[in-house]
Amino acid sequence: MAFLSRLNPTVTDQTIKEAYFTASQAQLVRARFKSNRAAVVAGWVLTLMILIGFFSEFFSPYAPTMAGRDKQYENGPPQIPKFWDENGFSLQPFIYGTKRERSIKTNFRWVITVDREDRRFVRFFVKDWEYSYIDWKWDLPGENFDANLKALTFNTHLFGVDKGGVHLFGTDASGKDIYSRTLRAIFTSLKCGALGVFIAFVLALIIGGISGYYGGWIDSTLQMITDAIRTVPPLPLFMALAAFLPQEWSAEAVFFVISSILGLIGWPTLARRIRTHLLSERSQEYVLAAELCGASSSHIIRRHLLPSFTSYIIVDLMITFPYMVRLETALSFIGLGLIDPVSSLGSLMQNVSKADILLNYQWYFIPVLFFIAFVLAFVFVGDGLRDAADPYSDVKK
Amino acid sequence: MVKFLQFTLIRAVMSVVTLLIVSLVVFSLMELVPGNCAERYIAFKNTQGQVITIEDIQAEERRLGLDKPFMIRAGTWAGNVFFKGEFGDSCILRLNINHLLSDKVWISLGICLAALFLSYLIAIPIGIYSATTRNPVANNSVRFISYLGLALPSFLLALMIMLTTTVLFGESMAGLFSKEYRDAAWSVAKFMNFMSRAWLPIFILGWAATAFALQTIRALMLDEIGKLYVTAATARGISGRTLLWRYPARHSLGPVINSLGFDLNRIFNDLPVVALIMTLTEMGALLIDALAFSNDQQLAGAILVILTACIVLVNFITDIILALMDPRVRLGLIG
Repeated sequence: MAFLSRLNPTVTDQTIKEAYFTASQAQLVRARFKSNRAAVVAGWVLTLMILIGFFSEFFSPYAPTMAGRDKQYENGPPQIPKFWDENGFSLQPFIYGTKRERSIKTNFRWVITVDREDRRFVRFFVKDWEYSYIDWKWDLPGENFDANLKALTFNTHLFGVDKGGVHLFGTDASGKDIYSRTLRAIFTSLKCGALGVFIAFVLALIIGGISGYYGGWIDSTLQMITDAIRTVPPLPLFMALAAFLPQEWSAEAVFFVISSILGLIGWPTLARRIRTHLLSERSQEYVLAAELCGASSSHIIRRHLLPSFTSYIIVDLMITFPYMVRLETALSFIGLGLIDPVSSLGSLMQNVSKADILLNYQWYFIPVLFFIAFVLAFVFVGDGLRDAADPYSDVKK
Repeated sequence: MVKFLQFTLIRAVMSVVTLLIVSLVVFSLMELVPGNCAERYIAFKNTQGQVITIEDIQAEERRLGLDKPFMIRAGTWAGNVFFKGEFGDSCILRLNINHLLSDKVWISLGICLAALFLSYLIAIPIGIYSATTRNPVANNSVRFISYLGLALPSFLLALMIMLTTTVLFGESMAGLFSKEYRDAAWSVAKFMNFMSRAWLPIFILGWAATAFALQTIRALMLDEIGKLYVTAATARGISGRTLLWRYPARHSLGPVINSLGFDLNRIFNDLPVVALIMTLTEMGALLIDALAFSNDQQLAGAILVILTACIVLVNFITDIILALMDPRVRLGLIG
């Protein structure tokens, strides 16, 4: 793969030239993507975040729910493991023990004091609370039909301390570990965005496909509807849809519906692009050839037209993703989306706007940094992919 | 001229159809809310100590016309909105919605349009500069800022600014008016007071829009600069700013005007969130109230329709401007 380092076809070396002209589309896209350094870095960050999100239970020492709360350390500041302090060096990282007290001296408020003499060593691969990767519950009507499937259950966590707790990003008002919640939130947001993008994609494919393939009055009608939906500002529309969710629904149901609404709102832009592409491809000779061979419409759409722009679809999905996550975050921030016991990037940010927190508990902001990094990584990768998938992007520069 | 009128007419009809579809969607949404106005009114009477029956509710439904089929009610509602500009009453607040919204609509629209204006005021010169400059530091920082504009949620920016102003000036910048002007009638002093505070929401709303506009303008300029007519103009001896403004910038203007409607859409998107943080008392805040706290479907529906109508109007106006500027657009639609 010598051509990876240099893409310019004007290079003199004959073998490089040959490799360039005989490379497959995928190879070219990969090579162009790799030459964009920002996108590659963002790609690694993104991969890392997805992995961390997926294995969030392993990486987090405590459960991100109320079950994992630390009653002795509410609104506690972050604890950063140290190797060295005035009492000497230790090969194993340690944090300090804390005490919570309330007396006349502290004006009868709970105050957390750090005891620098009390070292608590951070241990790795500790066994603690259990988690399962497969945990399905079917709550079907009738008592005998309830099913509960649990598999791949583990209880190993990357790190922990022997007594007390370790809270890298501090804790919130009820003592939940913000670090564990942040990891969980990345996973939730990924899941939400993925589901939203998937639904939007399926809808866009069906509507854009029909509109672009048949053209004529079907196209005009569908375009009118698509355009009408596109003009409504998404967040207010999203708010209106989400506001009608019954309060008593379970967190899973709310999560599922919120993601579906994201998809229901997100399809028009994508549908329009698919339609435009199909309209231009439809009149090509290879479609005519397939028609003359007696292929059905759905066969032509699936086997001939869709593969012709798969790369564009993938890029579009990548670009749509951060907007979905942003929408969900904004909604949760307002208080209409996922709310507190559920950890999503939006629900974690909900507390940030209170003046009390701004002034006293700044570690609540740590998830915000993750959110920014997450969206930025997606935007960079999406842009890099778009440039890479565009065969003319080299010529332009 | 006839062709132009024909074009305007077609666009106007299309805008109205769009609005009709949207109002139908909004009305169906309103209907999804459990419980209707009759039940609400009667439930209120119940709290006053009256005993109520199913018949009472049905009588109230008949009085409000709620027993008619869905399409007729949707038609009446849309008709009132279109021809009379009447949004009816909110059954939670028991107030006329037009009365409730009157001032707030204009304040919100003013803020949003100012934000739109500001974003292009910043984006056009910087976008053109970053497309033409060869200075990598300037180029990369412009790119990074515009990416950050996409990633940094506007509410976070609002929070940061609120925090700094509170710490620095000792006075919260929240709200649109100081205390003494909040309920006063409009006057020069009130307007000045409004302006001294409104710049903050305007800036915050403009922030994300600026990032988008910056990217659009940069990409458009990069596309245009590489074209042959620019080379030809350079060969004729035109250079520097004259060249830029007379050729590529003029050609990029069309798509920019075209995207104004969607930029406004984006700004409306941020409006409720910013309103929540800055404790504004305008339309975005009312929307949050209506949706998150009181479940007031009439008010929420009215606000959604107003917001959409603004975007449709802006789209219509930009279409006309485009057609005036570019004969290809005029011909394209009529065929």
